[in-house]
Amino acid sequence: MAQIAGISEGRSDYKVRGGKMIRVHVWHRDGKIEKVIFAGDFFMHPEESIEDLENVLVGAELEESEEIINEFFRAVELIGAGPEDFYRALRIAVLGKKS
Amino acid sequence: MRENLYLSDLWVYVRLIRDGYHPAGYNMALDEALLILNKEPVLRTYSWDPSAVSIGYFQSIEQEVDLDAAKSMGVDVVRRITGGGAVFHDREGEVTYSIVLPSNHWAVKGRALQSYRVLCGGIVEALRILGIDAEFAGVNDVLVNGKKISGSAQTRKKWGVLQHGTLLYDLKPDLMFSLLRVPNEKIRDKMIKNIHERVTSLKHLGVEAGRKYVESALIEGFSRVLREKMEPSTPTEEEKDLAERLMREKYGSDSWNFRR
Repeated sequence: MAQIAGISEGRSDYKVRGGKMIRVHVWHRDGKIEKVIFAGDFFMHPEESIEDLENVLVGAELEESEEIINEFFRAVELIGAGPEDFYRALRIAVLGKKS
Repeated sequence: MRENLYLSDLWVYVRLIRDGYHPAGYNMALDEALLILNKEPVLRTYSWDPSAVSIGYFQSIEQEVDLDAAKSMGVDVVRRITGGGAVFHDREGEVTYSIVLPSNHWAVKGRALQSYRVLCGGIVEALRILGIDAEFAGVNDVLVNGKKISGSAQTRKKWGVLQHGTLLYDLKPDLMFSLLRVPNEKIRDKMIKNIHERVTSLKHLGVEAGRKYVESALIEGFSRVLREKMEPSTPTEEEKDLAERLMREKYGSDSWNFRR
């Protein structure tokens, strides 16, 4: 985790059961997400909505993000991973460890 | 109601484009152009010249591809509009297909997950024609003896669905792993050695069928599962123009290929 001007940066490479990968790159400050990027070999329909997910997480605390992610995937079809995998991958990226 | 005009019973054929070899940018651009411009079923078969790596919509190009290696080997790299993983498209090793269907076509109605099974059935059928017993597995793969021989990916718009995918007739693990990044360098040799336990090709199964024959089997396979005839065709001027534009402005641009 690098720290610049109060902003912490974290990454995770999270292997989903079944083989898909979710890679998270997150910037956060004072416990709140400043920016997050999800990458990986999963499927999401419609694809463009990944940016909506990244946007709605801005300003959220880690604890809130679980519900935001779950709510988001009620309207978006996700294949090869589950909403809980997105949350776990984000959590590891923020906390810097598996826990 | 205009929608009623598109009942699947009215389709008597699928437009067939046997498209030969093209650069990666053009291949992805024409697939997208076909999706944008068509309200009727289209099947396209093609290969890649030069060989190329395509990455999934959500992947980071730098995390997945050794760009220096690709450059020095003259291999194209392009981001797809479909999700999924990075794929090495060997010029001499695969036939690629794309299929465009209107959203209300029986084969793609409902959710993506079901339609993968239906459309990948075309590949299973093609392999049967080639004398090979294959099965659909997971989300979007076709396996022979538990080893992957074909992978597919789809994108869904309001008006239509595009699914594209590969059928491998040869496999070059050394080349593949010199282009695709592996989780860590220590396991690269092991991955090359073990790939034959996970992936196979027609050649490795003892089927020495040429590209043209494999392509024909693929077309016949899709014809059977869709229960429709194939009507030989070529891209229209409008499709070619849009593909040229998408190639220039999207698939040839860093803003698209490096967006993640």
